[in-house]
Amino acid sequence: ACDDGEIVIKFAHVTNTDKHPKGIAASLLEKRVNEEMDGTACMEVYPNSTLYNDDQVLEAMLQGDVQLAAPSLSKFEKFTKQFRLFDLPFMFKNIEAVDAFQASDAGSAMKDSMQKRGLQGLAFWHNGMKQMSANKPLLSPSDANGLKFRVQSSDVLVAQMDAIGGSPQKMAFSEVYGALQQGVVDGQENTWSNIYGQKFFEVQDGITETNHGVLDYLVVASVDWLDSLDAEVRDQFMTIMDEVTATRNAESAKVNQEAKQAIIDAGGTVRTLDAAQRQEWVDTMLPVWDQFKEDVGQDNIDAAQSINAQM
Amino acid sequence: MEVGLLFGLVIGLMLIGVPIAVSLGMSSALFLLWFSDTSLASIAQTLMQAFVGHFTLLAIPFFILASSFMSTGGVAKRIIRFSIACVGHLRGGLAIAGVFACMIFAALSGSSPATVVAIGSIVIGAMTQAGYSKDFAAGVICNAGTLGILIPPSIVMVVYATATDVSVGRMFLAGVFPGLLAGGMLMLAIYIMARIRDMPAGEWKGFMEIWLAFKDAFWGLMLIVIIMVGIYGIPGVTGAIFTPTEAAAVASVYAFIAAVFIYRDMGPLSTEGDDRPNLPLYKKPIALVTAFFHADTRRTLFEAGKLTVTLMFVIANALILKHVLTDEQVPQTVARAMLDAGFGPVMFLVVVNVILLIGGQFMEPSGLLVIVAPLVFPIAIELGIDPIHLGIIMVVNMEIGMITPPVGLNLFVTSGVAGMPMMRVVKAAAPFLAVLFVFLILVTYVPIISTWLPTVVMGPEIVTN
Amino acid sequence: MHPGRSESFIDKLEETVIAAILGIMTLVTFANVVARYVFNSNLLWALELTVFLFAWLALLGACYAVKKGAHLGVDAIIDIVSPPVRRVLGLISITVCIAFAFLLLKGAWDYWANFANLPQTTGRWFPTGFEESFRPKGWYEVNDIPHPGFLAWMEDVFNDGDEYEKLPRLIPYMILPFTMALLLFRFVMAGVAIWQGKSDRIVASHEVEVELAEVREQRGEG
Ligand code: NA
Ligand code: NA
Repeated sequence: ACDDGEIVIKFAHVTNTDKHPKGIAASLLEKRVNEEMDGTACMEVYPNSTLYNDDQVLEAMLQGDVQLAAPSLSKFEKFTKQFRLFDLPFMFKNIEAVDAFQASDAGSAMKDSMQKRGLQGLAFWHNGMKQMSANKPLLSPSDANGLKFRVQSSDVLVAQMDAIGGSPQKMAFSEVYGALQQGVVDGQENTWSNIYGQKFFEVQDGITETNHGVLDYLVVASVDWLDSLDAEVRDQFMTIMDEVTATRNAESAKVNQEAKQAIIDAGGTVRTLDAAQRQEWVDTMLPVWDQFKEDVGQDNIDAAQSINAQM
Repeated sequence: MEVGLLFGLVIGLMLIGVPIAVSLGMSSALFLLWFSDTSLASIAQTLMQAFVGHFTLLAIPFFILASSFMSTGGVAKRIIRFSIACVGHLRGGLAIAGVFACMIFAALSGSSPATVVAIGSIVIGAMTQAGYSKDFAAGVICNAGTLGILIPPSIVMVVYATATDVSVGRMFLAGVFPGLLAGGMLMLAIYIMARIRDMPAGEWKGFMEIWLAFKDAFWGLMLIVIIMVGIYGIPGVTGAIFTPTEAAAVASVYAFIAAVFIYRDMGPLSTEGDDRPNLPLYKKPIALVTAFFHADTRRTLFEAGKLTVTLMFVIANALILKHVLTDEQVPQTVARAMLDAGFGPVMFLVVVNVILLIGGQFMEPSGLLVIVAPLVFPIAIELGIDPIHLGIIMVVNMEIGMITPPVGLNLFVTSGVAGMPMMRVVKAAAPFLAVLFVFLILVTYVPIISTWLPTVVMGPEIVTN
Repeated sequence: MHPGRSESFIDKLEETVIAAILGIMTLVTFANVVARYVFNSNLLWALELTVFLFAWLALLGACYAVKKGAHLGVDAIIDIVSPPVRRVLGLISITVCIAFAFLLLKGAWDYWANFANLPQTTGRWFPTGFEESFRPKGWYEVNDIPHPGFLAWMEDVFNDGDEYEKLPRLIPYMILPFTMALLLFRFVMAGVAIWQGKSDRIVASHEVEVELAEVREQRGEG
């Protein structure tokens, strides 16, 4: 609990505290803030959607009822459609490319892009690259034809599933495991750590290592709250934030590799694509870019692609 | 201390006659305004998100609606005929058939009081006519009616699943064996009492009557099949077709079709009086359109809607209280205190049983669950108790709370249905209450009764939190 | 003693709205199952539309339930006390309800106002005025429900002429201030009835009172 006179920083998120990349990062941030800023500030973390889910938390933040949140990037499409960039399939070659883009001018412009609407992006936190899974082997995009895929609320992801001939389905996250298991839907897309953490691999034929998209989070605070902090306090907080971000993002690739290995060890099937197969997926999904080019801005796409080229 | 004040305020307001929902909401609002810097807007947000953010709660209005169509449509009558045909000839047969009918109706309905009204309003009268004492009849139905929330579908299970993020489908499966066991124990108790007290036996009408009664009840019984097959599929034939929430909506649509177009007990094809046969659809094809706007349809929708509303307003305000407790990190504090006190699983479960039995005196079960589940759930996980098992224990506690004085939902309803004073119902229900207590102990300490079926069908429970 | 079961036009209207919302919720969810299972297609907006309707149903219904004295409560104590004591308890209870509805009305307005580019009220417990500067949130859309063409005019009014792809949140959330105002009004009316001695409580002890009343009627107890 916080002492009197300390600045209370409530951080609400939706994952566990010790296994999920975001949860681990949040716990580390909490520990460091409470140690190093003791007497000045105090952080309380509310995990597992106990206080707010990702949808509510941004409303609550604009209202001033919570100070810190880290929803997945698709949630910010409501604030500015630029964020659709991260949902576009095969936009980034790998997580290093994502990292480089986020650190570039284009990336930091995106953190500032929601100021007018009251949010300030503080740091991008990686989960990792997304993979595809279904209740039958997926090697060619045509294998996905006619399958029902659970997707998050995002027009881009809907268009992506339409592009491979799948049937995108909206479903409450709590119902996904049961729905996959019982065959209400056939497949889903997620990062290794989520597929392992939610045990989706148990109820799927296999996971195909497509690395077709990215699932990342943006740590945000409200502009008004940040403005209310003394410059000194804000700087100290941001220094901790940057260090935690660097530490955890450097680990994210490892966390996902471990999750992938754990899936294999637990008897899950992982399929890899050769260059020709992968190109087939790229070619099938690429038309989605055109559909959302105007939303995300050609300059952002160009920036991402030039980073890809250097990888 | 502050939390004690909060709960004291909730109970105090309830007792002087403030609606439960307002007692919960007002206490929470005052607490937030006094002790935190949270805004009133956040309470409004929580109220809205109670519905928008808890998709699984949608199963509640849908199951209520399905059950309303089934009750209005005279399905209860047909189920009772089938039950009597099966077991009515035993000593104490009509009472055993009453329990049997309650079990079947429980598989159509998610609520205990609804089960008592549907079955009790027919069976209690019939038993009295057949020579049973009214007290005995009322006691039987009052108890058997509680199975409404144990045998799936169950509103209380939906609420538990929502509050703790376990799978609704898993909870439903977990209720099957305990439900059959509790029903079986009640029937056995009645049979023994009937032998000792030499109660009447009905006449055996032969297998033909069982067949005819089954045929007559078939479309009602099909609803059970639709729900179970839809949620779980048939191995080797079909996968599941819908989620538990969607199953509830499909059940409503099916129940509507069965009541209006198959049984024709209600809607445009129904006729006044029992002697005039209901119209076949070909004589009045326009019914395909008018059925949706018919006064009976509208009335059933409205009654189900009204029932939903009173339950949901309690649940929504309980969620506001839950928000306050979370915001003040009360579950963690309680968990730490209990773990520090060195509670093991057994002691913990005893405490949970006591809390629920006492809480059940004041509160409608769903609202109580919303508040208690988040408090005890983290401790249970810490102690290695299976979340599904915990859920079933809580449901059985709710059942017992419904038939224990001073306040018990089923006691009220039975007293109304039987036209008997409350105290007489309490006395009448007592012998069977003992059966349910034995059952509670059994379910509490033999987890496999609850966990076996869901594990077989859906694999081992995963705890991700 | 409950408020009478009068069948006014407003009663009928409210009952029809409650029935219609529940009917639409059921059909939309059913249609989504059919779309998915039979046509291998989807209604991506079905889920979100249903949960919003659910909120509308529950909040509108809560107001109706006040009028009919149908909110669940504990009447064990008020049943055993003498009528004068019962009246006092009733008046205390209704005061609590009115205060609650008042706080919720302020909260609901504050929550909704910015979504409609309107100012919140200032003050923590009681509204002391309207805030002078705020960030409008008229641009904030829901997740899945498309913005219907006939509401295109809203883009100019609430979104600086920018296109709405999805319904703005101000529409589904509008129900909050509306129903909380209605709830306040209904509690005040219930208070008047208790004051005048026309009713002595605002709660029903259980959820199946209507069904029970019917059983009693059939038994000829009226
Ligand atoms: Na049931
Ligand atoms: Na009780």
